[in-house]
Amino acid sequence: MLTIALPKGRLGSQTLKLLNKAVDGLEELDLSSRKLVFNFSKKSLRFIIVKPSDVPTYVEYGAADIGIAGKDSLLEAQSKVYEMLDLGIGKCKMVVAGFPDKKDSWITKAHRRVSTKYPNIAKNYFTSIGENVEIIRLNGSVELGPIVGLSDVIVDIVESGKTLEENGLVVLEEICDISARLVVNRVSLKTKKSDITRLIDSIEKVLEE
Amino acid sequence: MSIYRGQIPEGLQDCLPEECYNKRRIENIIRRVFYSRGYDEIETPVFEYLDVFTNENGSIEQDQMLKIVGPGNQILVMRPDMTTPIARLVATKYKDKPLPIRLSYLCNIYRYQQPHMGKQWEIAQAGIELMGIEGPEADAEVVSTAIQCFLDLGLEDFQIDIGQVEFFKGLVEEADLDSKNSNQLRMLIEDKNILALKEFLKELPINTELKDVFLDLPKLYGNIDIHKIASRYARNPRCQNAIQNIIEIYDILKDFGFHKYITLDLGMVHSLNYYTGIIFRVFTRNLGFPICGGGRYDRLISEFGYDIPATGFAINLKNILIALERQQSLTPIPSIDILVVVDERHRKQGYNIAQNLRRQGKRVEIFHSSQKNYTAEEYAKLKGISRIIDANKLSEGEELC
Repeated sequence: MLTIALPKGRLGSQTLKLLNKAVDGLEELDLSSRKLVFNFSKKSLRFIIVKPSDVPTYVEYGAADIGIAGKDSLLEAQSKVYEMLDLGIGKCKMVVAGFPDKKDSWITKAHRRVSTKYPNIAKNYFTSIGENVEIIRLNGSVELGPIVGLSDVIVDIVESGKTLEENGLVVLEEICDISARLVVNRVSLKTKKSDITRLIDSIEKVLEE
Repeated sequence: MSIYRGQIPEGLQDCLPEECYNKRRIENIIRRVFYSRGYDEIETPVFEYLDVFTNENGSIEQDQMLKIVGPGNQILVMRPDMTTPIARLVATKYKDKPLPIRLSYLCNIYRYQQPHMGKQWEIAQAGIELMGIEGPEADAEVVSTAIQCFLDLGLEDFQIDIGQVEFFKGLVEEADLDSKNSNQLRMLIEDKNILALKEFLKELPINTELKDVFLDLPKLYGNIDIHKIASRYARNPRCQNAIQNIIEIYDILKDFGFHKYITLDLGMVHSLNYYTGIIFRVFTRNLGFPICGGGRYDRLISEFGYDIPATGFAINLKNILIALERQQSLTPIPSIDILVVVDERHRKQGYNIAQNLRRQGKRVEIFHSSQKNYTAEEYAKLKGISRIIDANKLSEGEELC
C-alpha cells in the first residue's frame, strides 16, 4: 500500500491530469470534493488531499510515502525527503521584488526589511549573499509590504509578473526556478522500493511523451 | 500564576506507566544482548564541556546542542551523542586496557531540531562501541549485534541499509574536487536529487566518465547485486577497497544467516567528516524514519589523544516503541494479583501475608483502612484485581495457602 499526498488547488489539478495518464482507474479521485482520503485498494494506492505547503511534512514523517509539492514548499520546509522527479508543472520563479527606485537608497542598503510567505528561503538567500535583513512573515498579498511601507522588498514566487506590475513592483533579484516535484519518504524508498519505482517509472514515461 | 506552571517545555515528554513499562522491557532485552556479547555498560555525565563536542570530525552542529553556562563561566553542553563522551572516556581512562574495548550504554542524549527523531530534545538511545579493532569482522560484529537486538525485540520486517563512505570519498579524490564542490555534490547525492545533481555536474570541471558515475550514485541502492555495478565504477584503489569491504562484511553476515536483512545504498553519504568506513541505518516498514544508525569512525578517538579505530551504532528507543506499537507488540502492564485488606490491629499479620505472596512472585497491593473512597471490593473491581485477602479475618497465626 502506497500513500500519496496530493496538494489542493491548481497544482493538484495539474498533477491529477498527469497521474490519470500514468495510472488507470483513478477517475474517482476528485479534488473538488470535501473528501480528504481516497482509497484504491485494488491498486494498493491511497491518496490524501492536503494543503500544498503541508505536503513535505506528511512525506517527511512517513504519513505519506510519496507527495507532490512545489519546490517553494520544499525549500521553505527544509524537509529531509528524496526529491525524485521534476513534473515540469507549476513553473515559476522565486524572486526578490520591490520598487525599482528604492533599490539603491542608503537605508535599504544597510538593512533591508523583507516581507514574505517564505521566511526560511528569504533567510537562506540573504545569508548566502552576506546581507543582513529583517524578515517579516506574512501569509498572503505580500506585495502590499513595500506599498504601505511595511517592508522594502518582498520574496515571493512570480509566474507572469502581472501582480507585481499592477502594483508598480519589479523583480530585483532572481533566487531560483520553481516547479512541482515528486518527493519520497527516505525510508519508504527503501522498504517499498518496487512499488515506488514502478509508479515513478510510469509517471516518467508520461513526462517523456 | 505563570502560564508555564504545570507545563513542560516543547520537545520533552513525561513517560507514563504503560510506556515506561515497555521501555524498561525493551531496554532489558537490548541490555541482555549487549551484555552477553561482552559489551560492558557505562554511564557518562549528562553535561560536559562544549570543547568535548566541538571536534574537527564531529557530526553535530553547534546549533543542535543544548548549552548551559557553568559555575566557572565555561559553556557546558547536554551530551548530543554518547559516542563522543565514550571516545573521551576511552582515550583518558582505557589506554592501558587490552584491545579491543567493548562498551555499551542506555542513556538519554539531547538535541534541538531533529525532525527525524520526532522533534524530541531528549532522545533515549541504546548503543555499543567496538574500539581498537579494524576490519570487516568488527563491523560485521556490530551489525549482527544490532540485528540480534531487533530479532530479540520481536521486530517484524526490518532492514539494514549499508553504505560505504570511502566509495564516495575515493570518487571525490579522483575528481580532485575542492571541499565546497564536494560538499554540494554530497548533499545532492544524499538527497537523491538527480535533477539538481545533473545541473550541478554540468558546471564541474571533471571528465564525463566521472560525471556519469556521480550521476548514477543516487541510484546505487537495493540488494547486494548493486555491488556489481559499483565495482565497474571503482577504478581507483580507494573505491575498490570500499566495495571489497562491503562484500566482506556481507559475506560474514551471510555466514551468520543475516544476509536477508541487508540492503546496500552507496548514495548514503551523510556525516562524511565523521564516518570513515561503512555506515548503516535500520528501517522498518511501519515507520517513516530510521530506528538505528551507525558505522565506522576511525578518527574520533584520536582527537582525544588515543589513536585507535572504532565502530558502533545507536538505537533510538522511542522509534522502537512506536514501531512495536504499530505492529501491536507492546505489552500491557501485568495487573495486581492480590489485594490484601489490613486494618491497624492486623498490620503485622497483613504485612507478613503480603510479603509471603510477593516472595512467590505475586504483585500485591495493600488496601489500607484509611482508603475511604471505595470498599476493597469496589477498588479491586476498578483496578482489575481478581483476588482479595482480608488479613483482618484470618485468625492469629493462621497460614495462608
